[in-house]
Amino acid sequence: MKEHLGEFEELILLLIMTLKEEAYGLSIRRTLKDQANRTVTIGAVHGTLNRLENKGFVESNLSDPTELRGGRRKRLFTITTSGKVALQKSKDVKVSLWGQIPDLAINKS
Amino acid sequence: MKRTPRNTSPPNWILNFFRWFCHPGYVEDIEGDLLERFGTRSQNGKAAGILLVIDVLKLLRPGIIKPFEGTQKLNNYGMFKNYFKTSFRNLKKSPLFSAINIIGLGISMSLGLLMIVFLSEIYSFDDFHVQKDKIYRVNTKYSFGEGSQEENLHATSSIYIGNQIKEQIPGVENLLILRQDMIADLSIDDNAIAITGFYASNTFFDVFDFKLIKGNPKTALSEPNGIVLTESTAKKLFGDMDPIGKTVTVDRNENFQTGTIRGVIEDPPIKSHLQFETLVSLKTLDKLAKGNEVNFRNDPSDCWFNHVYLVLSESAQKDQVSSMLENTNLVPPWGGKITHFLQPLDEIVTSKDWYYGLSGPTFLPNKIHTMIGLTFIVLLSACFNYTNLSLARALRRSKEVAIRKITGATRIQVFYQFIVESVLMSMIALVIGIVLFFIVRPEFLSLPNPTYRGYEMFLLEINYFQLGYFLLFAIGVGCIAGLIPALLLSKIKVGIIHSDAGKLRLFSNIRFRHALVVIQFAMSIGLIMSAVLVHKQYEFATNYDKGFSTQNIVNINMNRNYVDLDVLENEYAKIPEIIGTSRFAYVLGEGWSGHGGVVMTADRRDTIEHINNYIDEKYLDMHGFKVLAGSGFKSSIKKGEKQKNVIVNEEFLKTLNLGSPEEAIGKSVWIKEHGDDNKLIITGVVKNFVNVSLMEAKERPFIFLKYLPGESSYLAVNYGDNDVHTVMEKLEATNNKFDPLHSFDASVYDDGIAKTYEKHMTTYTIISFLAFLAISVSTLGMLGMAVFTIESRMKEISIRKVLGAGVSSLMTLLSHNFLVTVVVAGVIAIPTTLYIVNNKLLNEFKYRADVGLIDIFSGFIIVLLIGILTIGWQIREAALANPSDKLRSE
Repeated sequence: MKEHLGEFEELILLLIMTLKEEAYGLSIRRTLKDQANRTVTIGAVHGTLNRLENKGFVESNLSDPTELRGGRRKRLFTITTSGKVALQKSKDVKVSLWGQIPDLAINKS
Repeated sequence: MKRTPRNTSPPNWILNFFRWFCHPGYVEDIEGDLLERFGTRSQNGKAAGILLVIDVLKLLRPGIIKPFEGTQKLNNYGMFKNYFKTSFRNLKKSPLFSAINIIGLGISMSLGLLMIVFLSEIYSFDDFHVQKDKIYRVNTKYSFGEGSQEENLHATSSIYIGNQIKEQIPGVENLLILRQDMIADLSIDDNAIAITGFYASNTFFDVFDFKLIKGNPKTALSEPNGIVLTESTAKKLFGDMDPIGKTVTVDRNENFQTGTIRGVIEDPPIKSHLQFETLVSLKTLDKLAKGNEVNFRNDPSDCWFNHVYLVLSESAQKDQVSSMLENTNLVPPWGGKITHFLQPLDEIVTSKDWYYGLSGPTFLPNKIHTMIGLTFIVLLSACFNYTNLSLARALRRSKEVAIRKITGATRIQVFYQFIVESVLMSMIALVIGIVLFFIVRPEFLSLPNPTYRGYEMFLLEINYFQLGYFLLFAIGVGCIAGLIPALLLSKIKVGIIHSDAGKLRLFSNIRFRHALVVIQFAMSIGLIMSAVLVHKQYEFATNYDKGFSTQNIVNINMNRNYVDLDVLENEYAKIPEIIGTSRFAYVLGEGWSGHGGVVMTADRRDTIEHINNYIDEKYLDMHGFKVLAGSGFKSSIKKGEKQKNVIVNEEFLKTLNLGSPEEAIGKSVWIKEHGDDNKLIITGVVKNFVNVSLMEAKERPFIFLKYLPGESSYLAVNYGDNDVHTVMEKLEATNNKFDPLHSFDASVYDDGIAKTYEKHMTTYTIISFLAFLAISVSTLGMLGMAVFTIESRMKEISIRKVLGAGVSSLMTLLSHNFLVTVVVAGVIAIPTTLYIVNNKLLNEFKYRADVGLIDIFSGFIIVLLIGILTIGWQIREAALANPSDKLRSE
């Protein structure tokens, strides 16, 4: 089933890939702030993660509990193949679009 | 990351809140995030607690919050969804039974809806008055005094007592006097109207909230000769002109000759206990009081024309006023005893007693109760259908219940499932009910009100508020109908699934089902029987030999006419179709107990009460009274002249021991008239006749006196064999020619008599309608049961047939049950109904129609016939079917 990938979803997917083993709600939020300079609520991140999981783009596993989190387990996210395919597709579309824009047009503006 | 023990702990309440609303799948994960963040913040010396709260609040978003479906705790949405689905499937699967139930319920619900609207209208009377809880009316009780147990209640009382209360009891906020009998003809330019209304004190608008459209409520009624018209009368008199300040000429009223319009008031709403066309300031009557030491304002025995209303500041006042009134007993000059009491505004319309002197509609509560009771019967009957059919078909549902239970349903859940099913059905029935409601509504509105006083009382309109009641009602009906099936079916044990379904314990309720059917039949029989009996009595009453003839006579009410009556009588007599005319004071036999008085024997030893009528010399002949001795009057008397002769009836002679009719002629009696004793000589004796109506004994002393000009007057015209419509038209044309202001008020004598028993006709119509509903509902139920029984006994029938049973023996076998049920129902219903009809419905009648065997068995026979027809064709079909068709398939 073809699922649409939203802008914020794409961003989160990319972050999950960058964070590798340490991709969970709070770390994603933190990186989002550091790298993309975007501040969002915890709920927004979790909402998107849940949506991505429903679409089948990410998978999650619960980690071992850590003391830092008051004994709560983390939900660690990893990207699935279909997630990667979706990212790739999205990138391809953009690259091809960028390719169609003459350099001049950009320089001009 | 450096590990330091946390020196602060997060506020628990907010975490609990978070855990409550969050999707259970995400709780741990997100909570971890929150705590991690909290830890970092508190290390950095931030207000971590508050920030945590903000974070949690920000989490209140879709996707995080627990969904409403699929989890147990928030609600039972999913469960109900399933119930509705299975209920719908069930209704669809057996369309015949669903249709029977829904139609039956729909029919009886239309009645229930009618009842709801009716009741809400009855109990919302006078709700538009802001001070409705504080307004009381002072009523009067008149006891006839020594030796007489009789008491009359009057909605009126004296101005005197009103003023006494206001003076003696502190806290009476307002006192309003309305004096009745404001009759006048108003005219301006060429326009004139005849109106009736009240003389009202200027507190009218302080007490009541009738809307004044034009004029000042403070001053409208404070000046003498000030008139407030209702919107519609103002329109009739002034058209589109502004009436305020206009002076009108007043005729036919001795108290004032001109008046000024000071206000226009909205027409009194139908839901008002007071109905009037106009208000005239009470001060207008001051002239009447002037010069008389005792006048209507201070005469404690002037109790019969004034409505007195009080506004009490608090409820405690009521007791004070009541106790004061209890201690005020008054003996009027003519004897007896007058006492007063308070009646709250909201009890006026539904007062349980009959009041004299009312100025608006009332509805006796026992009528309301009867109607509620009858509605209940029909509704119950429809509920029984559902209960009955569901129980009979329980077998088919038993497996479903067992499987539900195996998969973990508790008894209460199964119970709910069946309730939901019956509620769903009653909701569908509600739609049918509402449609039927609109069909029967106009019929109901056109019925003469059983406690009719000439006022419209009902609109029977549905508003949103009532739609809410309708829904509640439908839910209620559904619950009642489904209660017993739900209770019994939810009891089914899981084990049923393995054992033979035929052994189902449920069949022990067969006796219960029979009882329900018996009650249903009994109600149908009873209602049909009542309708037949009431109708018979009505026919009896209208055709009763009254002792005088009413044939071809039209009675014309001349009381409102201003034109000289002699002129009108002459003009009427000129109409070629009119054979004769006769003038008299009261119409006999139409329920008016009329004028009464006291008569003493010549030696003044014995006194008796009697009823009288004033007639002219033509009256007795025209009405064919049977004169036993002497003769009718030979001449008329002039105004101011004294009565000399009297014509009496047989009972009069008997009561006063005046001997035989022949002996009585020439004897004299004393009669008190206008305060004077008057000696009268008996000149004629007539046979006893129906004087009031069949509700009163014929054997009451009655006297005829000579017609006096100025007394109440009616004109009887005899039109012979001519067409009554032509005659009426000609009479009306004559009236309109000579007295255009006053509408022609006449009725054919026989119609007038029929009208007297109109209330019973209404009862008959209502009962017939109910009987029709009840019989429809129980016929539907019968049909359902027949179909079911035959369906489930088809195999048995087939085998019997194979073994040689004939059609007739099968018919007997199958209808046996039904016959027994109807007979039992008849045995219960017939005596009960006879008792109720005799003691409740027709108990007012002194003279009763003979009840024949056919009347008694009418209901029984009709139910039996309808039953045999309904069941008959089902049974016949089954008995004629080819047995192999049924047996081959197995």
